[in-house]
Amino acid sequence: MRKFMTYASIGLLSFGVTQTVQARPVSYPGGVTAMVMNNPDSNSVHLHYSPTAKYSLGYKGEYWRDGEYTIQAVQMNNLLKRWNKPASQANIYLKSGVGVAYSDKGAFDHETEPAFYTGLAADWEDRRYFISYENRYTEAGDIDDFFMQSSRVGIAPYIGEYGDIHTWLMLQVDHRPEAEDEVTVTPIVRLFKGVHMVEAGMSNQGSLLFNYVIRY
Amino acid sequence: MKKLFLTCAFTVLLTPAAYAGEVVKIGVNGMVCDFCAQAIEKVFMKQDAVEGIDVNLSDKQITVDMKDGKTMGDEAITTLVNDSGYALVDITREEVSDE
Repeated sequence: MRKFMTYASIGLLSFGVTQTVQARPVSYPGGVTAMVMNNPDSNSVHLHYSPTAKYSLGYKGEYWRDGEYTIQAVQMNNLLKRWNKPASQANIYLKSGVGVAYSDKGAFDHETEPAFYTGLAADWEDRRYFISYENRYTEAGDIDDFFMQSSRVGIAPYIGEYGDIHTWLMLQVDHRPEAEDEVTVTPIVRLFKGVHMVEAGMSNQGSLLFNYVIRY
Repeated sequence: MKKLFLTCAFTVLLTPAAYAGEVVKIGVNGMVCDFCAQAIEKVFMKQDAVEGIDVNLSDKQITVDMKDGKTMGDEAITTLVNDSGYALVDITREEVSDE
């Protein structure tokens, strides 16, 4: 718990300087979103439904490569605050999940543990610039527990209208204190058209990042 | 007399309605991307009164075409914009004639 508080403090301190990551975790009322994320640390699938524009509820499945374990969880995302300005938007979200972690790596013989994670995400964007910050603490019993945080900045080289292909050039920095590569930096190209969003990048460690989001 | 009747009948049938519907222009804050535009579009298109919608991110404005004889009050429009996750700035109405 002390470890969590220390890392959370670091995260909150950097919040003021940098800010958060990723696609918006809450959609419009009745909206369904599917996300497939593949980054240097993990692969995940997240499917959520938004009853209102304030929260979403869904399933998230993750595979963590270093620890070779999975987490299957029910995840709830809450929009804590949104600022709608004439040319920009900013958000703060709370993202939490409860589920089960499973591992059969090393000493773990088909080990199953309850799992829980929570974190804050914040973003600011206009049609030209994007900046975001996200943190998360994960507790998976004997299998693993860790804190991670990431931040992203982006710029759109041109401004498109609704329905056009939008292009973003982004840089993501991930900080996972307990990982072998504590800090990774990943340049990313984001393409965005209508209900589809695709992101691809390669980290300074040579790992591929590929994300796909569809909202319908 | 028959010729006059037929002329009148064709005139009535072929003349477009004098009043084709209302167009509502709505200023909205917070629309910065296609997901924002899509949210607004989906929420408004679920309404019976709405014929079509155009979202212009540059103008920060949505244009809603109402069905003939249908309208929506300012309060209902404000609620829809807020429920979509955005903030209403203003509402202006135009009556469109096909003549």
